[in-house]
Amino acid sequence: MRPRLTGLAAWWVQRASAVCMLLFIIFALAAFALYPRHSYLEWRSWAGSPGVALAILAFFAALLLHMWVGLRDVLLDYAKPAGLRRLLLGGVAGALFGIAVWVVLILARLQT
Amino acid sequence: MKLSISRYNPEHDEQPYLQHYEIDLVASDHMLLDVLLRLKQQDNTLSFRRSCREGVCGSDAMNINGRNGLACITRTSALREPVVIRPLPGFPIIRDLFVDMTQFFKQYESITPYLVNDDSPPEKERLQTPAERDKLNGAYECILCACCSSQCPSYWWNPDKFVGPAGLIQAYRFIFDSRDRATAQRLDDLGGDPYRLFRCRTIMNCAEVCPKGLEPVRAIEAIRLKIAQVPVHPGGLDMHPPKSPT
Repeated sequence: MRPRLTGLAAWWVQRASAVCMLLFIIFALAAFALYPRHSYLEWRSWAGSPGVALAILAFFAALLLHMWVGLRDVLLDYAKPAGLRRLLLGGVAGALFGIAVWVVLILARLQT
Repeated sequence: MKLSISRYNPEHDEQPYLQHYEIDLVASDHMLLDVLLRLKQQDNTLSFRRSCREGVCGSDAMNINGRNGLACITRTSALREPVVIRPLPGFPIIRDLFVDMTQFFKQYESITPYLVNDDSPPEKERLQTPAERDKLNGAYECILCACCSSQCPSYWWNPDKFVGPAGLIQAYRFIFDSRDRATAQRLDDLGGDPYRLFRCRTIMNCAEVCPKGLEPVRAIEAIRLKIAQVPVHPGGLDMHPPKSPT
């Protein structure tokens, strides 16, 4: 089985996603430090604003891609039997997809 | 000095075991290899490779107190006792401290370790500017002792697919040589495969244990940047004072 996101593409994705995550973390920390939010409603209103929701979505997209490249590398090293490797890769892909759907649902609910 | 040395004779032993030795040091026992050579006079079944005894040939690479190094440049005065000596980790053991380096040299051979240049030869030699020559610094000094590849977890898991730090620092040496004309083929060969170059996880054990103070991890990063067409620092690779086993 030849994984698709490999070699130079995976190397770029890992670095670009790390930069995306770093930018969001700096943005979030600055937002928390400059405008402290003390109640659930304030938090909800902040996270639900379109710009921040888009940034959160980009952060999780970068995080999940980063996790996929990293976890897949670990499995390629340690899970040698092809069947076991496919099973574990499928499990990781399923879990990451589940997290992605969950994030989208939460952000969509914040818009209502 | 107390030593525990890994012994294995495939004709008698099912698996390697540690044999304990005790030997009185004499004034000429400066390096660990001096002690091993005197031990071999007492027990001529003890087997290990050695040749130049001055850190140039790389034959006596072994795992000393958990760290790969060359016995001939490891000072006895710096070693904790008992000194535990094992063969290079991750390599098949032939006998005692002898390891089978076939796979290691297959990976080395796979990077085409020679200049490829079909241009008509000049009257004397192919010249380089000092700046072009500087690019080879930190790579040409590699003696292929295998300390780095043998201490690299990525190489342990995929020795047949991942070229390993020793092969890749040699690949760097030819990719960045101004006289070589096969740069594109070399980059395609390494970059077009998910394992050969990209299995390096930047663990950096290679730089940590290199007895010459080289940093193969920097060579690997430079090759990746070259494939990605990102400018690379022009002055060769970083080096550091080498650390010996203690």
